[in-house]
Amino acid sequence: MDTTQLLKGVLDLAVLAVLREEDGYGYDILRRLRDAGLAEVGDASVYGTLRRLFAAGLLTTYVVPSESGPHRKYYSLNAAGRDQFARSGQLWRSFATTMDTLLDDRGRAA
Amino acid sequence: MTVTEQEIVDYVARVRGALGDLPPAIRDELTEDLPEHFAVVAVESGGTLVERLGEPEAYAVELRIAAGVGAGRRPVTEELAAFVSRVHARLNTLDRQLGRSLGYPTVRAFLHLLTPGWWVLRGYLATMLLAVLTTGLNGGIGLLPRFEGNLLLGLMVLAALVVASVMLGRREARSRTWPGRLLVLGNLVLVGFGLAALVYLDDRRGGGDYYAPISVDSRYDHIRDVFVYDTEGQLVDYARLFDQNGDPIRLGYPDCDDVRDVINRDEIGSANPLLRGYPYCPEAAPFGPRPTTAASPPGLPAPPGTVRPDSVAPPTVPETSPAVPPAPPEAPPTSAPAPSVAPTG
Repeated sequence: MDTTQLLKGVLDLAVLAVLREEDGYGYDILRRLRDAGLAEVGDASVYGTLRRLFAAGLLTTYVVPSESGPHRKYYSLNAAGRDQFARSGQLWRSFATTMDTLLDDRGRAA
Repeated sequence: MTVTEQEIVDYVARVRGALGDLPPAIRDELTEDLPEHFAVVAVESGGTLVERLGEPEAYAVELRIAAGVGAGRRPVTEELAAFVSRVHARLNTLDRQLGRSLGYPTVRAFLHLLTPGWWVLRGYLATMLLAVLTTGLNGGIGLLPRFEGNLLLGLMVLAALVVASVMLGRREARSRTWPGRLLVLGNLVLVGFGLAALVYLDDRRGGGDYYAPISVDSRYDHIRDVFVYDTEGQLVDYARLFDQNGDPIRLGYPDCDDVRDVINRDEIGSANPLLRGYPYCPEAAPFGPRPTTAASPPGLPAPPGTVRPDSVAPPTVPETSPAVPPAPPEAPPTSAPAPSVAPTG
């Protein structure tokens, strides 16, 4: 099992987490995820996730024009997005705790 | 900037192509922001798009999974099958629509009624093919089968093959194995042969029939050439004779020695010399003056009322000449104005 497979399940949560700190555009969000340690996340995964979360009504967008070069489409959490983040975050914490316990028990038994 | 506008366009096009199986609305929604997104990627990172993002097809797979729109790309065979089934569905719709206008549920139902007719036609085509293969095209193919000229044998083979074809047709629906495919191949060969024969027959009609009907009976067998003189006593060149039905009258045959020269001079080439008109051999004209090579008729017109001393040997009215063949009831219009122009002396 590698990080890519784990990422599939939690990329939504990761993107929501990044956006809770600060609004961002696609490539910016990718960079922040990678800087946070998720080095294996791909551009298409982030772009696709953003499209899906937006379609689900969890995000709002606004465009910031640029003097030189392309304009950026920023994504930000709306109320539904923040709600979702809270629930998903809780779920993840309890799941992660379960996994930690499991690994610790087994580790002790081994 | 190392990434060009065109590179982005191409990359997006390939991603869209790889998502081609998605419903258009979903695909458009998924990819509408890609050009802008790639433009940002291009200015904020180095290298080409492929270096930065991988191959577009791989990008599309990842995008599809992340956006949650269906499974991975289907294999080529499946896409082909999907395409075939789409075409099939389209054809079925067309089948029903056209069939309704014919008064049948489907065109196929209508065509199905015609299959016994095809079986008979197939037997006929097989017989004709057999006849051509055994006899060759030397005698030309007509509409009835002849084996070495033997029509009776041809008709017997025709009857046998038609019966065989019908029997085969009644069993055909069951055979989906390789003999069945062989049969389909044979059918295609026969259809191809039939079409080729149609074209061949049609060609013969276009080329040969013009002088084919000979509306003259054997009384005139001894005539080898026809010489037409106008009222001035000039030999008419390139004359053509027709009967009351407009059918060309063919008399004689160009058998003079210099007929080749004539053909060459007239630039008829290898075409039928009969198309040239009468006389075939102007040199053999029974009366002078001979037609000169240049345009002589308008050159020396006899003034009306005068008698030309040298060239009046032939009678001015051609009908009285024994060498002139029987004119058709309605000959070309050279004979009509004769009385008014005839010199009175």
